[in-house]
Amino acid sequence: MTDASPERDAAVDGGHEVAHGDDHGHDFPGTGSIKRWFVTTNHKDVGVLYVVTSLFFLVLGGVLAWLMRVQLLAPRALGEGILSPVAYNQAVSAHGLLMVFWFLSPFAFGFANYVVPLQLGAKDLAFPRLNALSYWLYLFSGILFGVSFFQGGTFSGGWTMYAPLSVPTFTPDVGASTAVLALVLFVASVTVSSVNFLTTMHRMRAEGLTLRNLPLFSWTILLTAWMMLFAFAALLAALLVLSSDRLLGTTYFAMESPAGALLWTHLFWFFGHPEVYIVFFPALGVMAEVFQTFTGRRIVGRKWFILAMVLVAIQSFAVWMHHMFLTSINLQVKTLFMITTIGISLPFDLMVFALIYTMLKGKIRFTTPFLFVFGALLLFIIGGITGVFLGAVVLDYEFRGTYWVVAHFHYVMVGGVTALVGGLYYWFPKMTGRMYDEFLGKLHFAVYFVGFNLLYFPLFVAWETPRRVFDYAPELAPWHQLATVGGFVLGLSFLIMFYNLFKSAFAGDPAPDNPWEYATTAEWAVSSPPPLENFDGTPTYRNGRLEFLDIGEVTPSEGRASGPTGAAVSDGGVTASATATVSSALSTAEATEVEGPSHASIWPFVLSAGAFLVLLGLSPLQDAAFPEGMVGAAYATTTVAGGVVTLGSLVAMGLEPFHGPVFEEGEAWPFAGIDNGKVGMWIFLASDVVLFGGFIGAYVFTRVAFGWTGWEPIPPDPIPGLVNTYILLTSSFTVVLALVAAEKRHKWGVVTSLGATFVLGIGFLVNKGLEWQHLFHEGLWLSTNVRASTFFLTTGLHAAHVIAGLVVALYLTARAWRGAYLEDSRSVEYFGLYWHFVDIVWLFLFPLFYIL
Amino acid sequence: MDDRNRPLDTICPGFSETIIITNVNYLIWVVLSMVTELVLTAAFPLQSGLVPRGTRAFVFERIFEVFLLLGTLVGVVVVGYMLYNAYKYRSGSGKGHVDEGNRLVLGELPSGSGGGRKLFTSFFMSMVIVVSLVSWTYLTLLYVEEGPADDESLDVEVEGYQFGWRFTYPNGHTTDGVLRVPADRPVQLTITTADVFHNFGVTELRVKSDAIPGQETETWFTADEPGTYTAQCYELCGAGHSYMSAEVIVMPPDEYEAWYANATAENATADNATANESSADASVAAQSNLRPAVVP
Ligand code: HEM
Ligand SMILES: [Cu+2]
Ligand SMILES: [Cu+2]
Repeated sequence: MTDASPERDAAVDGGHEVAHGDDHGHDFPGTGSIKRWFVTTNHKDVGVLYVVTSLFFLVLGGVLAWLMRVQLLAPRALGEGILSPVAYNQAVSAHGLLMVFWFLSPFAFGFANYVVPLQLGAKDLAFPRLNALSYWLYLFSGILFGVSFFQGGTFSGGWTMYAPLSVPTFTPDVGASTAVLALVLFVASVTVSSVNFLTTMHRMRAEGLTLRNLPLFSWTILLTAWMMLFAFAALLAALLVLSSDRLLGTTYFAMESPAGALLWTHLFWFFGHPEVYIVFFPALGVMAEVFQTFTGRRIVGRKWFILAMVLVAIQSFAVWMHHMFLTSINLQVKTLFMITTIGISLPFDLMVFALIYTMLKGKIRFTTPFLFVFGALLLFIIGGITGVFLGAVVLDYEFRGTYWVVAHFHYVMVGGVTALVGGLYYWFPKMTGRMYDEFLGKLHFAVYFVGFNLLYFPLFVAWETPRRVFDYAPELAPWHQLATVGGFVLGLSFLIMFYNLFKSAFAGDPAPDNPWEYATTAEWAVSSPPPLENFDGTPTYRNGRLEFLDIGEVTPSEGRASGPTGAAVSDGGVTASATATVSSALSTAEATEVEGPSHASIWPFVLSAGAFLVLLGLSPLQDAAFPEGMVGAAYATTTVAGGVVTLGSLVAMGLEPFHGPVFEEGEAWPFAGIDNGKVGMWIFLASDVVLFGGFIGAYVFTRVAFGWTGWEPIPPDPIPGLVNTYILLTSSFTVVLALVAAEKRHKWGVVTSLGATFVLGIGFLVNKGLEWQHLFHEGLWLSTNVRASTFFLTTGLHAAHVIAGLVVALYLTARAWRGAYLEDSRSVEYFGLYWHFVDIVWLFLFPLFYIL
Repeated sequence: MDDRNRPLDTICPGFSETIIITNVNYLIWVVLSMVTELVLTAAFPLQSGLVPRGTRAFVFERIFEVFLLLGTLVGVVVVGYMLYNAYKYRSGSGKGHVDEGNRLVLGELPSGSGGGRKLFTSFFMSMVIVVSLVSWTYLTLLYVEEGPADDESLDVEVEGYQFGWRFTYPNGHTTDGVLRVPADRPVQLTITTADVFHNFGVTELRVKSDAIPGQETETWFTADEPGTYTAQCYELCGAGHSYMSAEVIVMPPDEYEAWYANATAENATADNATANESSADASVAAQSNLRPAVVP
């Protein structure tokens, strides 16, 4: 895979006319070839992969739902029914997790991948290889989750994973740990993806396409990506702590821990509420686009619609405690969160009315996509009204933990799914180049809509049923039976869809560029499916509407054109070192030759497989030890093998010449003139801030619950920490020197400064190692008490960041030795950003753990 | 798809729309005033004043009814309006008002249609409904949060465990699986857990609270009908969660007093025996292979 630039010739020729369809270069196989799907980095291919994979998880989650619905046909005494109690708990938990994480968001991001670059006028995402990496991490995280079923049983503590049920004392199965690790891998995928989307959407919009002018679907994805960036970082903090409790034996969430259970609820819901909008916003975007197209009218109050969404996105981080009204929080806090909750519901009223009023005076065509989004809006209205009930705290007191909540969130979330299914029909012609069968589409809608309401409406009536329970009051049985029937109708309606789409994908009528009258967004201005690099000229909106400029017309502005991508992306935590190396790998792709963009790399796939093996291998750890005997040895071997694959593919990826999309900077607010790689690094670091924020928050929360002053600091001796503070500060200084030397083209200056940084980093780690060694000798271990747990884990996470940085530093030093970075010092600069960040984190950790 | 505008629309574009808009907003106003009236007159004949006070079950029922009523009305109006207009402006109906100078074109920069006024009117009204409803319930929340006066209430400590409930009375008497309380007297519960997160709730009595490791939560209820009710766990807590129930026996006050006088810290066993018989589920769960309780 060394030469992955099929378009090179075309590009060198000056035409950036790229091959349509399948006929590009020998290195990049056509869509009919299996190989293509393993190596592709093209956003459209990745989009298709996301959609197909997510539908697979829909089926899996759906089968689990059916099992539960069958169990719920009648109240079951112990031993009755098709599922044992533990199996039922596993089904509930896995269903929730699969549907929310592995189906709903990736389904939406399949469309986002496909459509957003087209709507922006970009040829691809900013970092195509990272995009492929997101996909493969997602797929492998799903496979890992699947494996968890076969390791004594998967996680059974509910999708909310409340502590302390989630620790091995109560859920000892290996599969439970695997499920948590699968989530960690999933979060890695989401983080890489958010950084990529945010960089792309802020930096790579066509001229004239200011944020205000962005189509609504792109707007929803932009806001979703911002929410994902921060919310998933908080989830990562929670999951890393949970993994550590499960695998290493720390005691944050142990039963005895002061406020461990409450800590989890805070961490989880800080993520969990934004997640509600993360899954719903893309659906809202689809609704807005489809409404406009099929009513033939522009949306009413567009600016207010956008403003409402921005407000919701921001405020979503300030409502989480409404999930905790029955915990011991006091009245003042309850009042505050009741107010923010009501506040966040109001913008949705505006959006709903805006959509409704858009229909007025329109010419509404009831095609399949419109039927689905129209149905989705109806369902969302019901979901919204029943949600107001929950906002009234006195009512929430009684609804909490009942089927009222179950019915409500299914109306909202599966309502969102309904809109996305509309999106699937809407974009199907674009993605496949063929039309679906309209009659079967409408039939699907009819069966779906009936099934949906038959399934979920009775649950409102049977609301007194406790959630996650299969033994309920007998008089509620008829309602549950109706729901079960509805569940089967709903599920079977998808068979119609699968049949329709599968058949049409091969034998449907060929789709024109734009099959929908009144569609306005740019994806309809190119062929179906679009050519590999999307546009035959440079898209621009400089004259107020989409036009394509020939290559010659583009104003040359050397400094601004970003050729090879530099991305510096890591996701912190477990895979920190892995992805941090990717960062350097990406930013160091040879930039000297003039080459066309690349579209293929096998390494994202290999890297993800490696990460999968590492996590699978680690899954049986308890108290930081593998189990005895053959099984333990097999797992340990898997870990090592996975580690080798991961590191190997990182290096390979670093050495692979890969060129991101060439683009002329158009609208790039607020990052105009700043390199993509740097923007990516900043955005990633912003999420890392939240990750550390989560850890520091957890520490402070635990310490306050424990009694701030009664908490004797571990370690008792601050001197090693102080020494390390000086070491790190010095190393920040040497990184600055390295950059200065690179800019002055002073090769040995670069080498020595980077080398010094590396040595200082090693010094930091050695010093820390000695300190820890000393503490271990005194009998302190991660599991000794919660004070020790917080110290070792938080500073350990920081040390992991240092190690990741050192791997990159080593790589940079080696390449500097061979004369790199004198022409282009960006890699050194991005590494510097990361390194300074890691140092600043230490400046917070040191006083918190050693002094206060 | 040609544009067949009706003469009326040609003469006065937006005419029919004006009527519709006025209609939906008018409808919502009608709903609002109707409900206010209902709230004031019908819903609280027993209580003086607007804010429901009484047992937990009573206040819940009042508020729930009002919400259901209003929610249904708003839902019906909004959904009905949507369906009506979707039908009315269906393509081919000739009602559509797409004027050619202003039609959507592929590749245009997105912009919005006018109509901000009606949008804000509707938004404003929905806001009035939601905010006034929730503020109204807030007054009841204050009442619920205040709880009963200390001297009149019976204090019981509740401890959840995998998979059952233990109750401790002021005199130290402890029972497992059965909570006996007098009718018509507020019961103040202090709830915690011996192991994982649970949630203690008695749905008929409309009382519920989390049982959190290392924390205590408080809640209260008053039962006015003697009888037997079921307490259940409302937070997933492990294999026996479905069967984690207890009996709540509400006794006439004098019977309760007699029972309580006999109940001492020592003779707890007698009652537990009854408990195990009566709550068959719990005993099945105990005998079965459900994961054993970590803290017995
Ligand atoms: C397609 C999108 C869907 C999503 C996003 C979704 C999401 C969820 C979530 C988050 C939970 C909570 C899990 C937990 O309590 O830990 C849940 C529970 C449940 N879902 Fe779904 N679900 C979907 C579809 C379905 C379907 C199609 C059915 C029925 C055939 C269904 C039936 C259930 C049942 C029975 C429960 C258990 C409720 C309880 O006892 O708490 N869901 N779902
Ligand atoms: Cu929430
Ligand atoms: Cu429970």
